[in-house]
Amino acid sequence: MKKKRKESTEIKTEDQMELLDISQNEEENEKKSAKQSQDSKRKAKGTVSDDGVLRPVKLSKKELYKAPTVEELNQLKEAENLFHCSILKMQMEELLKEVALSEHRKKLVDSFVQQITDFLQCVPESEVVELDDISWLAGVEVPFLLVPSTAKGKFHMEPPASISLVGSYPLGTCIKPKVSVDLAVTIPASILHPMDAINQRYSRKRALYLAGLARHLSFAKCVGSLHYSCLHGNRLRPVLLLKPPGNDSSKVTLRIHAIPPPDFLKPSRFHPQKNNIRTEWFTGVPNTQPESSEPPTPHYNSTVLGDHLPLSHLQFLSAISAQCPAFGEGVALLKVWLRQRELDQGAGCFCGFLASMLMAYLLSTHKVGKTMNPYQLLRNALHFLASTDLTENGITLAKNPDSKAPSLPEFHAAFSVVFVDPSGHLNLLADMTVFTYKRIQHEASLSLTFWDDPTVDGFQALLMTPKSMLRTYDNVFKLVNLVKLQTSCKKLLLLNELMDHSGNYVLTALPFVLSLLQRGLGERIHLLVHSLPQDPEWPVDSAPPKHKDQPPLSIGLLLNLEHALSVLERGPPADNPKAAEFRQLWGSLSQLRRFQDGAITEAVLWSGNSISHRRFIVLKIINHLLELHADIPKSCIIVAGGQLDDVIACGIQNHTTGEEESLEVVQSYDDLSRKLWQLKDLPLSITSVQGAHQALRYTQVFPPVPVRLDYSFFEKKKNRLGLVPKENNPCPCYIAPIKVIVHMEGSGKWPSEPMAIRHVKAAFHICLRELLCNQHNYRCHATPGYLDVWKDGLVFRIQVAYHREPQILRESLTPEGMLIYRDNAEAQALELETLHKPFLTSTLHGLQQQYGCFGVVCRLAKRWLASQFLLEDIREEAADLLVASLFLHPAPFTPPSSPQVGFLRFLHLLSTFDWKNNPLIVNLNGKLTAVEQTDIKNDFVASRESLPTMFIVTPNDKKVSVWTKEAPSVQMLQRAVMLAAESLRVLETRLDSGEKQDMRVAFRPPLEAYDVLIHLDSKQVPLLAKAVDPPVNTFQRGTHGGQPYASGGALPVIDYDPVRLYLSELRDAFGDLALFFYDPYGGTVIAVLWKPNAFEPKPFKTSLMNARRVKVNDDVATTVPNVEAILQDFRIIGEGLVKRLELRTEKWVV
Amino acid sequence: MAPSADQHARVIPGGFTVLSLRFSEDDAHAALHQLCVKEHRVRAESSTNRPLDRTLFVLNVPPYCTESVITEMFSRFGPVQSVELKERPGASEPSHSGLTKHFTDKHRQCFRVAYIVFRHASGVNAAKRHPENVPLVVSTAERPVRTGIHKWIQQYSDSLIKASSLQQDIDQFMNDYDRQKEEVSVIEGSVTPPRSQTAPRTHIGRSLISNISSVSDIAELRKKFEEDKQRIAVLRAQRKFRPY
Repeated sequence: MKKKRKESTEIKTEDQMELLDISQNEEENEKKSAKQSQDSKRKAKGTVSDDGVLRPVKLSKKELYKAPTVEELNQLKEAENLFHCSILKMQMEELLKEVALSEHRKKLVDSFVQQITDFLQCVPESEVVELDDISWLAGVEVPFLLVPSTAKGKFHMEPPASISLVGSYPLGTCIKPKVSVDLAVTIPASILHPMDAINQRYSRKRALYLAGLARHLSFAKCVGSLHYSCLHGNRLRPVLLLKPPGNDSSKVTLRIHAIPPPDFLKPSRFHPQKNNIRTEWFTGVPNTQPESSEPPTPHYNSTVLGDHLPLSHLQFLSAISAQCPAFGEGVALLKVWLRQRELDQGAGCFCGFLASMLMAYLLSTHKVGKTMNPYQLLRNALHFLASTDLTENGITLAKNPDSKAPSLPEFHAAFSVVFVDPSGHLNLLADMTVFTYKRIQHEASLSLTFWDDPTVDGFQALLMTPKSMLRTYDNVFKLVNLVKLQTSCKKLLLLNELMDHSGNYVLTALPFVLSLLQRGLGERIHLLVHSLPQDPEWPVDSAPPKHKDQPPLSIGLLLNLEHALSVLERGPPADNPKAAEFRQLWGSLSQLRRFQDGAITEAVLWSGNSISHRRFIVLKIINHLLELHADIPKSCIIVAGGQLDDVIACGIQNHTTGEEESLEVVQSYDDLSRKLWQLKDLPLSITSVQGAHQALRYTQVFPPVPVRLDYSFFEKKKNRLGLVPKENNPCPCYIAPIKVIVHMEGSGKWPSEPMAIRHVKAAFHICLRELLCNQHNYRCHATPGYLDVWKDGLVFRIQVAYHREPQILRESLTPEGMLIYRDNAEAQALELETLHKPFLTSTLHGLQQQYGCFGVVCRLAKRWLASQFLLEDIREEAADLLVASLFLHPAPFTPPSSPQVGFLRFLHLLSTFDWKNNPLIVNLNGKLTAVEQTDIKNDFVASRESLPTMFIVTPNDKKVSVWTKEAPSVQMLQRAVMLAAESLRVLETRLDSGEKQDMRVAFRPPLEAYDVLIHLDSKQVPLLAKAVDPPVNTFQRGTHGGQPYASGGALPVIDYDPVRLYLSELRDAFGDLALFFYDPYGGTVIAVLWKPNAFEPKPFKTSLMNARRVKVNDDVATTVPNVEAILQDFRIIGEGLVKRLELRTEKWVV
Repeated sequence: MAPSADQHARVIPGGFTVLSLRFSEDDAHAALHQLCVKEHRVRAESSTNRPLDRTLFVLNVPPYCTESVITEMFSRFGPVQSVELKERPGASEPSHSGLTKHFTDKHRQCFRVAYIVFRHASGVNAAKRHPENVPLVVSTAERPVRTGIHKWIQQYSDSLIKASSLQQDIDQFMNDYDRQKEEVSVIEGSVTPPRSQTAPRTHIGRSLISNISSVSDIAELRKKFEEDKQRIAVLRAQRKFRPY
């Protein structure tokens, strides 16, 4: 095991190496600067042990009850009242410390800015040339897509009129990581012409000027790298990215914006209803219409106008922030929040600048007070976002807009989301789509609910957990080959909009395509979102990337499982005027249908026999609508996911993934349960019938499938006792017994001795057998421990239980004749089987009714655990609880509604949860109150040492963690964490790549680390067909197709799995020397790992001689494992099952 | 069997003789297990099951060697009277006499130690003098030992039992049990042992203290504050506050 641990840490360190390198210097510097503030914390640090484990806090009475100072009282009170609890306050303070720029970093930035400013001041003047003559640039490209290529005007270079810092850095809201500092370079008025606003002339001159600056900067020594990018995906607003040379290159990025002189063009010219791009120029086709009928170009207008305002915006924000001391920190928190949600970058984003503007709005309208702390500012900002719909009721910062400024309704007419700047002319959210704003609102209201829930770690949920698209949304679709959106623009008749967006067809078509999907998906979804097209970045000596070169766009859906899987889309009645609309939307798929309630309506019917099929209906809708209305072929839409389900596919013919099979098992069980209740002539009555098998809570990886037997395949045992496997045939199909616990009423008739109780239970099994056999004709088999019932092609294993038995097992008599209670393993095991398991099964069964895809996520998760050889350490019930926690405590997400997103979050939970310091609380049925949870956490910290490595708490099990008591060990948990992290990484990169790829990779275990591999004869592996990579050849395993018999017939071979028998014998015999790993679902390899410490020579002892051999040296006998004989035994014990042994390492063979 | 020069018994410090064991005789090159044997010599044990001079103590018996296999194997040293297999060396325990075969628990399939009682003391000595390079053989043509698939199928077949035979076992046990009960109640005069009554501890303390006084309030807050501070310090040490 040790070997493997090393491996895992190595992987980690490699990953972190880069991070460390970067942060090391800085950390040191930061430490110096923050020394004062840390001094106070030092004391706390002193109580913490070095291994990062929490210890219970011990305060003496004196310390607790000493007289408080006023200051302390205030501090404590503030923490409690304003922050809900003191820990959140401290956490936020720590976070702000992490993201704030250190003094050292600021110095570095300042000096870099100074150097660049000085260098830019001396840009040489150049000759006046035609606008389309770019020969003077020599080697540097213009950061602009020159479409259409013609442009009138003249251009020359001149030193900038002024250079000033703008944006977050001078405002003090700049945060790590990715420190970017904005530098505005004012283009001298002599270069521009008052008519330049028309037909992109200004924008082209701006780009040329930037190229001129780039050319000049390429000679500068103080510049490390020089790239172009553009501001929020707007190709009309290129920026120049500068990085300092050498080691400092990652510490700051300088963004150079070229801007016109502040009042160069009148804002009124950029009213959203005015036109500034002429159709004739844009299309190249002579226009016969009068100029007044030209379409408005609101987006183009706001682009040009936006360039005029950075300086005045900075002034405005500085004035506001001066009034409120916590402004900077409040904005910083909001920026972190946005960043974790991938909302702060790209076209139509809610960037840091907007965060500041929003905060300024809240301050200026007195929605927040000037004395509030950062925490309150964030909370109020989120509250405002959640409760205000800017798509309907826009807001404005303008106090007294001049008469020419557009009104709010005018803004709404032109833009989807409205937030007007202090000048009253510019819509700050011009580029944002409705969908992005709805997403922000959804996130904000979700965050507030987590914040208000005392049992959720709000800090983690709000500010620390990244919400990537893949892990957040139930379905993610990739729109690849974006060039197709050009045809969509044509199909959707979007010429005017295309002109407005200066030919960026992706941004033009996106809102239209999305609203189409919104209409089509309707109530199937809660939310439709899209990824924000990211800002391209390219070197200054290469041409700007085309629109079609953009990476794929992602579309994310939050499903409403009530409707998402419905095969029917019911439209309005045929005579309703809306029917035409419905027909227009769905095209030929819409048909008139008559329903059982007599209504005749338009309707669309999708095919889908199984739930796994029906999960694809959403995709079918998207494909259909996009093809019909936007000319986007199917091949352009790729589902990120859906392929994962294959690993738990059950029926080959129906492509089911086990939901239907599970349901069938549960129905058959319900029937059995009813029949048991109704049995007459039982000596004692039944008090409860409870399922105690994972199939009865929908979480069995491969639920038992009813079978019909081919009798000729088996031997028959005498006395019609049942079938027995034939020696030379392949192992018969595995029939899993489904455990059912039947409690019998308490009565004086029960004996009070454990052994006697066992016999009475056995008598009950025989009694039940007689009754079931006679009254229902079921074939049964009674043993002392259980009764097997063969019913509907399934086997139920009934176990009779007596509620006092665990108690009786704990009783023992002292020599003095006193009756005492002593806990023991036998009693615990019995309680686990007859008490905890049935309870868990019924609770989780309920969870499945609440969350439709709970079962399938469990099954996927357990399939993964099994394939990585972990299912024996993290047992079924523990895994089910882990998954249950994803549904009950989804923060910061919503409960998963698709198998894939649930599985990804399961891997994330397993790999990131801090098992060392926290219990995982699974609040089933919400029974644990906040106070109880706090108590649980405190108890946990107090007795951490003695508790299991993986501690899972449920309302019924607060102190013990019954499912993880025995396993996993520290090492196995560590391995599980490592494997989960690696699988998650592999899966997410594959899912994100936008191509169809093999997802089974994450389900193939790494075999390098093992010492011996025992290859099995696949003929004798009963679940072979369930393997991750199922073999081409399967074996006849004694089953017929066709409907199984409901009752009667010969008793099948039950619970016979040679591999499991082999494993248990191996573990019995060699458990001290080696660990054995196996994938119980069709694995054909048993991996063996020698325990290193067992291989050290030990002195000869009678108690330590098993499977060892003796060596005598100087009259001292020592023993070592007899490896050759052990390997020989592997073969002997597994006679007929073992195909060959593969020795991976020779080092143990002495 | 004339002992030649290289056919001496190998005795290791501790007085054990090393015997070697092979699973089947057809595989001459197979690796061998080492059995360590010695005469049983625990004076404290007065059990008649293990007479001191006639009992051979064997270490490292592989799981596929059942009592009958060992009896067969060691019969070459002299007639075997009984074999007792145990997971670890120790005093012999009386087997659950009252239990029928359906109710006895299955033993683990691990390496065990054996106590072999020969009819004559000579058997013990013969075994101790046996040379190492002549291995004992577990499975021979005359008495094949089944492992793997054969064995598991046999096991499965054996596990199918008739309800009537099980019922017989139960009836027998319950009859004995009832008889014992009667005897006990006759002897003790039907006095059941007293149950130890541990009075449930009532937490009176808590309800009294929670009578909210501002002093304890502050103390509570302070305690929480300290706890939180510690939590933060641990997290800081792990650099858990970096949101990227």
